[in-house]
Amino acid sequence: MSEQVHDHNGMKGKDLLFAVLRHEKTAAVPWVPFAGVHAGKLKGYKGAELLTDKAKLLESLLAVNELYDPDGQPVLFDLQIEAEILGCKLLWADYAPPSVASHPLADKLEVPTHIPRADEGRLPMVLEVMREMKARVGQKTALYGLVTGPFTLASHLRGTDIFLDSMDHEDFLNDLLAYCTRVCIQVADYYIDAGMDVIAVVDPLVSQVSPRHFKRFLSDPFTRIFDHLRGRGVFSSFFVCGDATKNIEVMCQTNPDSISIDENINMPAAKEITDRYNIAIGGNIPLTTRMLLGNQQDNMKYVVDLLDQVSSHNLILSPGCDMPYDVPVENTIGVMQAVRDPENTRLALAHYQAAEVDTSAVEIPDYAHLSKPLVEVFTLDSETCAACMYMMGAAQRMADELAGKVDLVEYKFTRKENVARVVKMGVKNLPSLYINGELKYSSIIPGNRELVELVRQYIHD
Amino acid sequence: MSELIKQIFEAVVDGNQKVSEAKVKEAIESGLDPTTILNEGLLAAMSEVGKLFEEGEFFVPEMLVSARAMQTGLNVLKPLLVNNETKGSGTVVAGTVQGDLHDIGKNLVCMMLEGAAFEVVDLGADVPPEKFVEAVKSSGAQIVAMSALLTTTMGNMGATIEALKKAGLRDKVKVMVGGAPLSQQYADQIGADGYAPDANKAVGLAKKLIAA
Repeated sequence: MSEQVHDHNGMKGKDLLFAVLRHEKTAAVPWVPFAGVHAGKLKGYKGAELLTDKAKLLESLLAVNELYDPDGQPVLFDLQIEAEILGCKLLWADYAPPSVASHPLADKLEVPTHIPRADEGRLPMVLEVMREMKARVGQKTALYGLVTGPFTLASHLRGTDIFLDSMDHEDFLNDLLAYCTRVCIQVADYYIDAGMDVIAVVDPLVSQVSPRHFKRFLSDPFTRIFDHLRGRGVFSSFFVCGDATKNIEVMCQTNPDSISIDENINMPAAKEITDRYNIAIGGNIPLTTRMLLGNQQDNMKYVVDLLDQVSSHNLILSPGCDMPYDVPVENTIGVMQAVRDPENTRLALAHYQAAEVDTSAVEIPDYAHLSKPLVEVFTLDSETCAACMYMMGAAQRMADELAGKVDLVEYKFTRKENVARVVKMGVKNLPSLYINGELKYSSIIPGNRELVELVRQYIHD
Repeated sequence: MSELIKQIFEAVVDGNQKVSEAKVKEAIESGLDPTTILNEGLLAAMSEVGKLFEEGEFFVPEMLVSARAMQTGLNVLKPLLVNNETKGSGTVVAGTVQGDLHDIGKNLVCMMLEGAAFEVVDLGADVPPEKFVEAVKSSGAQIVAMSALLTTTMGNMGATIEALKKAGLRDKVKVMVGGAPLSQQYADQIGADGYAPDANKAVGLAKKLIAA
């Protein structure tokens, strides 16, 4: 397949994201899909295979890059990398990142001293994939290295008692957080040396404490980390999952370049705060209700509604957190299309949602009596949607090879008459490829040979 | 309300274990009715804690220390309480579903339920459906409460409901669910009787389900 480089008025996706992280006004909003374990779905790999096997991880990340055409992309979404090296046992899952199953400091108030080396645990594999991704797609895509934030790492080591330590063992907690901050900075340095453009400090546990607690224990560690990252010349992001509404302000005060939030936080309200601090904000497409369980239109609607509610300055569009493994591919494609072309998406959705789509003018071909096979490609718009472009590209190459023996037509969802056709044909997801009225491919792009051979079966000379 | 009860209430809300213990002892020695100490002091305080949590005033650390202060006071009081005065609301079997090790949310729910006089059978984390079934059988619980933090494990809530059906227990218990990826919509989809977004609402829901 040819390499797609999405063009934002002459600006590469990566540069668009950088401009937003520099807080410049931009003509478009960058798109950063958090495809962690979900990357494995694209290539049929389970969680443990994906997160431990260099070749499989790289193959899956490249598939994400191709299909979702991100402006920024995390290389790995696994908050257990550091914990595993520091002695936590992991419980592996097929369709989720591993969980921490033991806490080495559960019964002792000892602050470790060991700082992970680059040759420990899964770091060699991660660093190699980072370097490879940098070489393969680093020109067009900003790459995110995700490090575990000091509070979440401390909780991995200590267990739930970390919450009581703030009352019972204040000095110990401060020392443990200072240690976890050193670990965080060291791992970030490895990732920066491997070519990462943005370091995301991911600390979901921040949503579980009060702003007062944050100021007492976490302001200093996070400020130190973001200062360090700025000194290293990379961009930074503060990822939080869960309802951290009350902490957005104190998070801003630690001075990251951006903050990323999930659906538990009201984006317009949070953006009011981040705008005051001139910090970019990313989010917050709901992971379960929209991405996992919704349909393509639900996802597109969420994005255009969000874009209607907030200013596009200092804004990054992304899922709320690590995407669930089984998010339907077409839902992510829908999100991408809505971010890239909100105007036409808005119009198309309006046509689609009209109480009753008038399909009377749509003529369905007499598929049973065609003189040659008819390949119909239903796309969001092959000019703005990478997956649609690939689907249309595959169809076009097939048509070129079978010169004259097949008819090919593209129906773009962004045109009103095609919305009616989508409804009348019962097309559920875009892009989809039909041969003689039968659905053959949906979201997943066929290989060249595969498609040619399939269409040949419909040619009757 | 007596000054001592007020002090017990405040000690629990403030999470002050030592004061809670000392003031409960003092209240007993001064002849105050143990049931009054329990209901108006300890349990009323936990109800206030739940309210503060729901309002975003309290977070996880504050709730944990309050629950600990309540428990300390309760341990002093327990020998004086007749029969099941501390566990009058009903019995709940609770656990984080199979494959999921996240137990902070589940622990908070258990603490709040105990603070509202429920008897709680806490099965811990990574609980397979059959273990929920066994616990319902042996405890005679009226409610099963399940938690999940992962989109990949929340499916095991449905599996547990199926297991309860197979064991012929579904009509005998109410099922309530919660956890970050959950929603009312999802709870309806898997056939749960209720969904609560936080630990305090979980108590209200449990009371409602018992009364239904």
